[in-house]
Amino acid sequence: MNAVTEPRWLRWILIALALAFLALNLGLPLAVVFVEAFKKGSATYFAAIAEPDARAALRLTLLVAAIAVPLNIAVGLAASWAIAKFDFRFKSFLVTLIDLPFSVSPVVAGLIYVLLFGLQGWWGEWLQAHDVQIIFAVPGLVLATVFITFPFVARELIPLMEEQGREEEEAALSLGASGWATFTRVTLPNIRWGLLYGVLLCNARAMGEFGAVSVVSGHIRGKTTTLPLHIEILYNEYNFVAAFAVASLLAGLALVTLVVKSFLEWQHAGQLAGRGH
Amino acid sequence: MNLSAQNVVKRFGDFTALSGVNLDVKSGEFVALLGPSGSGKTTLLRILAGLEFPDSGRITMGGQDMSSAAARERRVGFVFQHYALFRHMSVAENIGFGLSVRPRASRPPKSEIARRVAELLDLVQLSNIGGRYPAQLSGGQRQRVALARALAVEPRILLLDEPFGALDAKVRKDLRRWLRDVHERMGLTSVFVTHDQEEALDLADRVVVMDHGCIEQVDTPENVWDRPATAFVCDFLGGTNRIACRGVDGAIDIGGVRLPNRAPDLPDGPAIGFIRPHEFGLAAAGAPGIAVTLRRILRTGARAALEATTADGAIIEASISDPPATLAAGISLVLVPTAVRAYPGI
Repeated sequence: MNAVTEPRWLRWILIALALAFLALNLGLPLAVVFVEAFKKGSATYFAAIAEPDARAALRLTLLVAAIAVPLNIAVGLAASWAIAKFDFRFKSFLVTLIDLPFSVSPVVAGLIYVLLFGLQGWWGEWLQAHDVQIIFAVPGLVLATVFITFPFVARELIPLMEEQGREEEEAALSLGASGWATFTRVTLPNIRWGLLYGVLLCNARAMGEFGAVSVVSGHIRGKTTTLPLHIEILYNEYNFVAAFAVASLLAGLALVTLVVKSFLEWQHAGQLAGRGH
Repeated sequence: MNLSAQNVVKRFGDFTALSGVNLDVKSGEFVALLGPSGSGKTTLLRILAGLEFPDSGRITMGGQDMSSAAARERRVGFVFQHYALFRHMSVAENIGFGLSVRPRASRPPKSEIARRVAELLDLVQLSNIGGRYPAQLSGGQRQRVALARALAVEPRILLLDEPFGALDAKVRKDLRRWLRDVHERMGLTSVFVTHDQEEALDLADRVVVMDHGCIEQVDTPENVWDRPATAFVCDFLGGTNRIACRGVDGAIDIGGVRLPNRAPDLPDGPAIGFIRPHEFGLAAAGAPGIAVTLRRILRTGARAALEATTADGAIIEASISDPPATLAAGISLVLVPTAVRAYPGI
């Protein structure tokens, strides 16, 4: 027995505590979602999912994520590259700014867009004159989602890139590699696991975001309701089975994300260990 | 290929890393940049490589102005202090990297790259571990991979930043010889940075001693050791005793002993002399020289290491051959300097 080995009974208590907590706070709600969804049989379940409004909400959710996630990957990569590999003024200010979406309440974030693009907002008149609708339409949903999910990729990459330093990039440059070759062959492979993790988190949040999206959506059924908003509407109409059925879709997307991540980690476990990460 | 820096100035904010440095490296030379940390030696090396750019001044290679050429255009091999191997590539992929990123037109075919990599693995005596990853190698092996990788692009100039800094003493000695060998065999022009004076003197054709962003002396190892140009160089080479003395008629007077100065001439008047431990003889108390009280004595074979204090409390370390049997701690005696390097008093 070494100094850091705790007595057996203490270890068991700690493990049991952690497991009980997880079961109660994560496992139980997840189970409730599926149990409630199938309460009136699978026919009702599939009917709730196949309903046109639900399908529209699913399509909209996927569309918003499909725009917001790649955008945040590109901008997040650029921002973390700039912060980790270059010195410039206002660097710490930029880092603080990246954290802003985490520290601001999502409702406030949504309101900002309403104040900017809404009819009574700063640019409202101009937008109306040019027949551009942002608030209560898809562009508003995308903007709000981009804002909320921006930090995930950058936050994941900045510490990783800072820890890895600039030497490998400098080595590549001194060996004659172009900037692009350096990025694709040295930088990107070194951060791929952090990037994957950031993207998964970003995607999960983009599909699940409620607060900011709720403010800018206008809740037009079948048009501007994403899955979380659709669930709320169903729930408020006392249509519990349908609400939980759609909720199970969202939970399912989250579970798939986790499974994909675990699978990739398991596939490349040997590589990760061998390469000293 | 010759290499030169003219009037190179580099500042980082308020800190002046290089203040007008001039350096000429002849084709085929092996030059050491020696200095304490913060002396600007690494900055100079990085500027030569194109990893930093000077605020003013010129860099030329083979007579061509390279001041604003990017690192990838200079065809300079650079070996990083911490190797900077690509951690996600095998040893062979690391070595082949420089060839495989060439533009399509000048890129050798895969088989040619493989042949070249095998050749380099052979050169660095690592033929059997081409498939391993950097994390699985020892420090010395990583260093050799880093060198092979730099040599793969057939550079004309090789720059090394503290190449042996992170290795243990035994490996360091072996690698030194081997590096010198590679340098000769491949007809390279090499510049390496070090803070270890023994390494610089042992390995280089010429040593450049730097301090506070200025070059203090550029000379052969013998001359740097024997005739340091400034008090800083003499002090940095280490193991010397500082003793107050006087310049008199172009010679140096230490307690009545007159010696020629092994440093640049200095005006008459008070000066600071540097005397190495083996540059002392012994005399009885009362003779001209430095009157001291012996504190400790350590006999090792035919020599003895003495630790003595002068009347004003300064400690002098001397190494004497054939010490007389009467020598013992506590006695008074006179140390007679046999050589001195004196510089104007600071």
